[in-house]
Amino acid sequence: MYSRHAGLTYIVPAFALLGLVLFSPVFYGFWFSLFRIQYGAPTDFIGLGNFLRLLDDPALGGTLTRSTVFTFFAVALTVAIALALAVWIHKLGERRGFAVQMIVIVPWIISTVVATLLFRWVFVNDIGLALSLARWAGFGDIRLLNDPTSAMALLIGVSVWKRIGYAVIILLAGLKSIPEDLEEAARIDGATGWQVFRRITLPLLKTPLLLVTIVLTLSNLNTVETPLVLTGGGPGNATRILPMEIFDRAFVAYDLGSATALALVMFIGNILLVLAYVRLAKWKT
Amino acid sequence: MEDLTPMTATKTARPTTVPFVPIADRRRMLPSVWGLMIAAAFAVLAILNLLPLVWGILTSFKGAQDLFRFPPTLFDFTPTLENYQRVIDSGFLGNMKMSLFYSATTVMATLALALPAAYAFDRFNFPLRGPLFLLVVASIPLSLGAAALLIPNYLYFTRLGLTNAWFTLPLIYTAHQLPMAIWIMKGTIEGIPRELDEAAVADGASHFEVLRYVILPLSKPAFGAAGVLTFVGSWNEFVAGSVMVDSPALRPIQPAIYNFIGFFGREWGPLTASATLAILPILIAFALLGRLIVSGLTKGSVKG
Repeated sequence: MYSRHAGLTYIVPAFALLGLVLFSPVFYGFWFSLFRIQYGAPTDFIGLGNFLRLLDDPALGGTLTRSTVFTFFAVALTVAIALALAVWIHKLGERRGFAVQMIVIVPWIISTVVATLLFRWVFVNDIGLALSLARWAGFGDIRLLNDPTSAMALLIGVSVWKRIGYAVIILLAGLKSIPEDLEEAARIDGATGWQVFRRITLPLLKTPLLLVTIVLTLSNLNTVETPLVLTGGGPGNATRILPMEIFDRAFVAYDLGSATALALVMFIGNILLVLAYVRLAKWKT
Repeated sequence: MEDLTPMTATKTARPTTVPFVPIADRRRMLPSVWGLMIAAAFAVLAILNLLPLVWGILTSFKGAQDLFRFPPTLFDFTPTLENYQRVIDSGFLGNMKMSLFYSATTVMATLALALPAAYAFDRFNFPLRGPLFLLVVASIPLSLGAAALLIPNYLYFTRLGLTNAWFTLPLIYTAHQLPMAIWIMKGTIEGIPRELDEAAVADGASHFEVLRYVILPLSKPAFGAAGVLTFVGSWNEFVAGSVMVDSPALRPIQPAIYNFIGFFGREWGPLTASATLAILPILIAFALLGRLIVSGLTKGSVKG
């Protein structure tokens, strides 16, 4: 309809900004990671030195394991609970379903810092609400933030609580797009509720489920605030996960060289997830 | 996600759902059990989701003597504003003002850049259109990986001298929100019939006039959805806000709260007061535009 280059002028401002903030720093970061970095500026060329230094770090293996455990459980629990909730809300009908959606989305729209802070206040030692509830219910003194395993469980719990609303809304949209006559036909043929869900609903929900899984994996893998505010990585290093490690190296220990190398390793992981996302998302030009 | 005008669609579609006869029958037979189960599930869900929030807000109005009372009390305390006073005395209103400025600027810049880009991607044919749009789609989840991007970003911005300025955070936040906004708006523009453009062109309109007088007025729902998600995203951002600006006068609200944890230590009164102030604008936006948030998310925005 219009000349071939008219469209380009409309996207130039947007791409100029994306180039400046999202794309070019990555290339700069890869180049930068090949130098020794002092006071935020590159000095001598050391090739892969920063990356090799990561391999020698004995603590890093534990951090990677903890990140994997955290991400796996946070994502799996969020998806499982959100799926159950979405199916339930779908059956509730438009009005009540909308009310439930509004309740579950509240933790998602408040910031991670605030959400985590409020959770910490509930579980804080000595005066927390959770401790009083535990005493009242006869469990005795439970201090979840003091024990490595329960602190990690709590970290996962906050993460699930925070992101479940998002997953519910995406999955609910997926459920709504399934034509009702498919499930109806199966029911007329004598399928039980579980069979309908397992054979009809779940396969048709595959794309939204995978998309939600990818996005949740990305956001959990990259969360700095949750461990920082909830536990500060403790007790000991029990809840120190990768993004917090990068953040600490760069801005607390000022070891920007190894922080950059570690961030780039993580960035490559992110790119793989993004590629999976792009393959699945229904985009067309 | 295919539904292009969900705001109007959901509103008009609601009354058409007629309950099946068998359900009505079952309801008559088991009037209380079914209703009670739903109500119970509803209550459990509401408590789990809202308890930390309500507890935090209540705490913010407690004086020192009520705060450390054991067992803690829900409503039986003398409300006080002293925690808010202390938070405001430590300059928190300045942080709130900065965050409001950052978020408002980001919303305006994002919408202003996203509309023409979405218009071009939907209505024009230009070289590399496919790959460039692919890049936009890929950037939506990419900006979630802020922790990985942050260090290269910080080094690059330091090199260019772009850190620690009033425009630093709006620049970054706009880039983070822009891909999602383009995606939402493109979805809406797809639903605007091309015949309208063609009619305008036949009347002598240029493609910019088509954008201004045809596309812009018809994309208002997308502005709402993209705008409110952008606002929430920028207001809640922590990592870039705590690293890219050091000067206290430029510090946004989330890093300010994080600093309070060090500053107030175990004084949960001021801490919960600052948290309450931080969620206030979000809850207001949610109360007014909650439907838009849900529809914006549904339309395929993909922030986690």
